[in-house]
Amino acid sequence: MSTKPGFDLDRPWRLDERVAVRPEPFGALLYHFGTRRLSFLKSQKVLAVVTALDGQPSARAACEHAGVAAEELDLYARALAALAASSMIAQRAVA
Amino acid sequence: MNEQTLVEPAQQDAEETLAGAEMLIEEVSIDGMCGVY
Repeated sequence: MSTKPGFDLDRPWRLDERVAVRPEPFGALLYHFGTRRLSFLKSQKVLAVVTALDGQPSARAACEHAGVAAEELDLYARALAALAASSMIAQRAVA
Repeated sequence: MNEQTLVEPAQQDAEETLAGAEMLIEEVSIDGMCGVY
């Protein structure tokens, strides 16, 4: 499977607690109060993935929950990797 | 003379994938914006 190095789809992830999510018609706007960075989520599906992270055992499960098709998974993994790199999302401890 | 730009298929795939990811998210920093706190 080809996903971006450094991002593990099979780990549990969560939205960083310093991130506010503002739903928008195009998707959502994320604002990180610590880094003062903004991220635009440019579809409802990527918003669904990000908001599903907390309740799912892995990022892969969150993608499936949000309706991401298998052929789209690599693309969404890259998007999640970018969000992880900017601290919008972070790994959760395994329970 | 005909000039052609040849792109390796793997390079093209990578560029298309990156462009696709950028279609899903876009990141900006507000640091340096005057009056924004």
